[in-house]
Amino acid sequence: MFSFASLRLCAFALKKMTTLTYIFLLPLLAAIALAFVPRNFAVIMRAVAVGVTFVTMLLGILMFWQFNGATADANGYKFVSTIPWLGAESLGIACKFGVDGLNVGLVLMGAIVAFAAACCSFEIKTREKEFYILLLVMTGGILGAFMSTDLFFFYFFHELALVPTFIMIGVWGRGERKNFATFQITIYLSIGALLALIGLIALYLQLPTDVRTFDIPTLTKYFAEHTMAASAQNFIFPLLLFGFGILVSLWPFHSWAALGYGSAPSATAMLHAGVLKKFGLYGLIRVALPFMPQAAQSWMQILAWLCLGNVLYVGWVAMRQKNLNLLIGNSSVAHMGMIFLGIASLNLIGVTGAVVIMIAHGFLAALTFGLSGYIYNQTGTLEMSELGGLAKKLRFIGVAFVMAAMAGCGLPGFLNFVGEVTVFFGAWQVPALRLVTVLAVWGALIIGAVYMLRAVRAVMHGPAQEDKTYATNVTDANLWRKLPYAILIASLLVFGFFPRFLTDKIKPVTEQIVNMATTGVAKTIVAQSKP
Amino acid sequence: MKYEVLPWVILFLPLVAAGIITLFTLKNEKVSATLSVGAIVIGFFATVLCFRAFRFSPQEFTINWLDLGTLQVDFGLRLDPLSLMMLLIVTGVGSLIHIYSIGYMKGDPAFSRFFACLSLFTFSMLGIVLSNNFLQMFIFWELVGVSSYLLIGFWFEKASAADAAKKAFLTNRVGDFGFMLGILILWVTLHGTLNFELIKHYVQDNPAALGGAAMLAGLLIFCGAVGKSAQFPLHVWLPDAMEGPTPVSALIHAATMVAAGVYMLCRVFFIFTPDALTVISWVGGFTALLAALIAVQQNDIKRILAYSTLSQLGYMVMGVGLAAPEAGMFHLTTHAFFKALLFLGAGSVIHAMHHEQDIWKMGALRKKMPVTYWTFMVGTLALAGVWPLSGFFSKDAILAAAHHHSLPLFILAVGVAGLTTFYMFRLVFVTFFGEAKSHDVDHAHESPGVMVWPLRVLAILSIIAGVIGIEGLFAGALKSEGEHPHGIVAQLIYPFQHAPVAACSGLAAFAIGLFAAWKLYANAKSDPLPAKLGGLSRAMANRFYFDEIYEATVIRIHDAIATISDWIDRWIVEGLCLGLVRGGTDLTGRALRLAQTGNLQTYAFLFVVGVAVVLWFVLGK
Repeated sequence: MFSFASLRLCAFALKKMTTLTYIFLLPLLAAIALAFVPRNFAVIMRAVAVGVTFVTMLLGILMFWQFNGATADANGYKFVSTIPWLGAESLGIACKFGVDGLNVGLVLMGAIVAFAAACCSFEIKTREKEFYILLLVMTGGILGAFMSTDLFFFYFFHELALVPTFIMIGVWGRGERKNFATFQITIYLSIGALLALIGLIALYLQLPTDVRTFDIPTLTKYFAEHTMAASAQNFIFPLLLFGFGILVSLWPFHSWAALGYGSAPSATAMLHAGVLKKFGLYGLIRVALPFMPQAAQSWMQILAWLCLGNVLYVGWVAMRQKNLNLLIGNSSVAHMGMIFLGIASLNLIGVTGAVVIMIAHGFLAALTFGLSGYIYNQTGTLEMSELGGLAKKLRFIGVAFVMAAMAGCGLPGFLNFVGEVTVFFGAWQVPALRLVTVLAVWGALIIGAVYMLRAVRAVMHGPAQEDKTYATNVTDANLWRKLPYAILIASLLVFGFFPRFLTDKIKPVTEQIVNMATTGVAKTIVAQSKP
Repeated sequence: MKYEVLPWVILFLPLVAAGIITLFTLKNEKVSATLSVGAIVIGFFATVLCFRAFRFSPQEFTINWLDLGTLQVDFGLRLDPLSLMMLLIVTGVGSLIHIYSIGYMKGDPAFSRFFACLSLFTFSMLGIVLSNNFLQMFIFWELVGVSSYLLIGFWFEKASAADAAKKAFLTNRVGDFGFMLGILILWVTLHGTLNFELIKHYVQDNPAALGGAAMLAGLLIFCGAVGKSAQFPLHVWLPDAMEGPTPVSALIHAATMVAAGVYMLCRVFFIFTPDALTVISWVGGFTALLAALIAVQQNDIKRILAYSTLSQLGYMVMGVGLAAPEAGMFHLTTHAFFKALLFLGAGSVIHAMHHEQDIWKMGALRKKMPVTYWTFMVGTLALAGVWPLSGFFSKDAILAAAHHHSLPLFILAVGVAGLTTFYMFRLVFVTFFGEAKSHDVDHAHESPGVMVWPLRVLAILSIIAGVIGIEGLFAGALKSEGEHPHGIVAQLIYPFQHAPVAACSGLAAFAIGLFAAWKLYANAKSDPLPAKLGGLSRAMANRFYFDEIYEATVIRIHDAIATISDWIDRWIVEGLCLGLVRGGTDLTGRALRLAQTGNLQTYAFLFVVGVAVVLWFVLGK
């Protein structure tokens, strides 16, 4: 009955919504619908999850395709839509969605990764019903968070996606340290989210009572015209920086990530490491930088040195890992450092590069965790000493794995290279960041290559371990299983060959944000001194 | 003009071939080989057409690849005499090696994959040659690195091959690190220019434009060449790279990839200051000597050739450093012919000997494999620098430059020339002369036509390449003042008129080297040198322990840092952060203490409560 009612509600809403809303509503509605399917019909669950995310992906691609032609509203957002009965007008909360150059690529990436994650969920053999419901909720939440133009729903959807993460690791996770991993990731991410929430609310309170709103475009306009008091900036910015930073595994708050991903089921790791983690970065770029330019400028030097913690230190940690998933998890943390470096450079080139890596890393993280999940299913282990020579039997997986490793060490042709090299150029433009950049280039070119090639050497190359129990059973992916990996690799290659598909969209927005974050200070001082 | 499409065809056909093979024809060996060979052969003929169409007038074809404020990156193809000549070498020698591979790789279970990788490599190499700006060159630079990784590690189930591939990639990456930094410095100092021609004109108009960064930027860019051309101290990867199939050794590690470094130096010659050039010439000279000494005591036929390649690359780099880039390019060209010939000849021997590579198990192959023997002999003579073979002229050009600029380097270069003759004839005497040293020799037989014909073509090229005007072309491309002779006879005698000391020293070095090799190895059953040289011989055989030194220093240090980081991460960062949380729990009381129950519902509950509390706080205000 309820699902019928929700369908009718949906039909009513059709008139007010654009492609965009379906992208995140479809998975959420499907999750509700799945709740009414009896639990023995696991096949249906799987089919619904894969089917719905497939449609979501197509819609995402369609949206991306139409983006250039679509008309933008006054704030530069396209496909703007609202869900009228959600929100609270008295508080300045409205359920509004829209994409501009900054999040359009992220939404596309999220939609593609969601489909890949659903495809890679074949490994789940227990409690499928709950798993697929949570997976769909997570998908809807992630996509909703990235397209919300309202701070409240931006945060709300993130939480909607975050909670299933903890549960999925706790229930379907693997490995001996599963419980500890769940505990750790829950504590860290809850604290991070809480800090960010306090920061966002404090931000909201900076507005005069009569114009208070959570609407991001309105806030942007307001803070472009009115500089926030320095004292307020000085306590809100660190809250957001470290709140969001913890969510993105900023050094030294990173230790939840590798273990958490290592213990998570593949789909969860793919969605969280690939997409949900970018929420914090997106928040930093969208909110923290433009709203609090003075604080941003004074914190960027510190952020730049912290990013070395990710690139170098976590890179070294990754070199020492004996478990493939921990290695990939640490490499994912290390890659975050490159994004932070791009943000810290606070110029058009660096910030655009950071956004490009966010998208690239989304595809890449999904690809690597998906592949390691496949290997785990085939062999029952991810200890690298137990593996070896798998490329002989897993030919497709082997090729995909080598490509993923190459993308991971920033090989041209893959989108990651475009992002990393752009960040290098952006950071090099800032004389104060030169030393950090030199070290980061070392981390990206050398350390990144060392652990990635070490993984390839240990898992795929070398003599096959014929004496292991799995040796006779390993089989290469069939056409169906190849699909998610093929789509992810294709995405990395297409954008890697033609980066302007992305950068031309991102550039106008980052330009505006960088302007606010750098010249905003001077401009508003002039404006204030006029009367 | 319709010819404008040609450079794009030349560049992208191999990529298309590699893509099609990987996606569709992995199971069909014939189609794969046809696609791969077809792509490069068409590229060769297209290059010849380009020669006719553009007649050495520089052309650039560009599209914008990345457009971000001051970071403007073009994807551009530059055709000028330098790149056209290099295109001819890469597609020409490459075509022969592709054809040869059909025979050599026959029966390998991954035959199609081999050709896919070969085509990918060709694409990357052509990209370097055609690039018109620094970042694009860096892109293809990296792609060459990865395709060489794939080809060296082609037999990846062999642990040694997998390790060699990894080592090659990582060593190259160290060079690329410097290259990248050099590009960044140039880009910032020159206000956002990456294009070679623009930078060249800018630097020529404002010699002080680079200021204090000039030397540093030049040396960092040179780092890229040190990695790719395997110069000291990054030379360690090249000999290990011999783990790849022999055609790969011929294509990548003799004729093309390692030449990329020298080509790049010539391409960006204008950014090097005189001080930087001095450093470059000494690095090159030292590499030449070091590698030649090591080659004297190697026993693996491919490794001898590998060290010989290192040594010759040292010559080329030295030539560039001596402000004679045209001599470096000339030697690169002739070396591409005779070294590809030598490697393919060695491949033919290895093929016949059922993958035996130790020269002390061969012997007397002269009669069993006449074509291989004669062509190998031509290659050896050319490499040793015998007049009137090609190697004589190109080596002489470098010797003349050294004689002109720096006496110590001249002496060093002549010494290396003698060593070259010595180790090459050691190889020839032991392999082809004397008595058979193992039973495999009895079963050896000449290789099939598809392998032998490329040898013949390369042998002819090795003989005539010195006198067909190649040096004049490069001189025209790289220097404005050119007084080079025309006509074959004039070219034949030119070295003796132009720099008689250099030419005669080169020939004298050849004679001494040949005599010493004849004395020691003409009928040797085992190597007499270790007994005579003792410790020095051991050091040479063990490559002067460079691998061991690096293992003990660079790699150990990195591993140690990694171990410490890992330990800190596990016991301090993780522990401290969680400890703080736990400590905070005790202080702040019940709410957070509940979080440690390990119960997921509690976490979810706490979360909702938290959000509610904060919202209530907001509403209350």
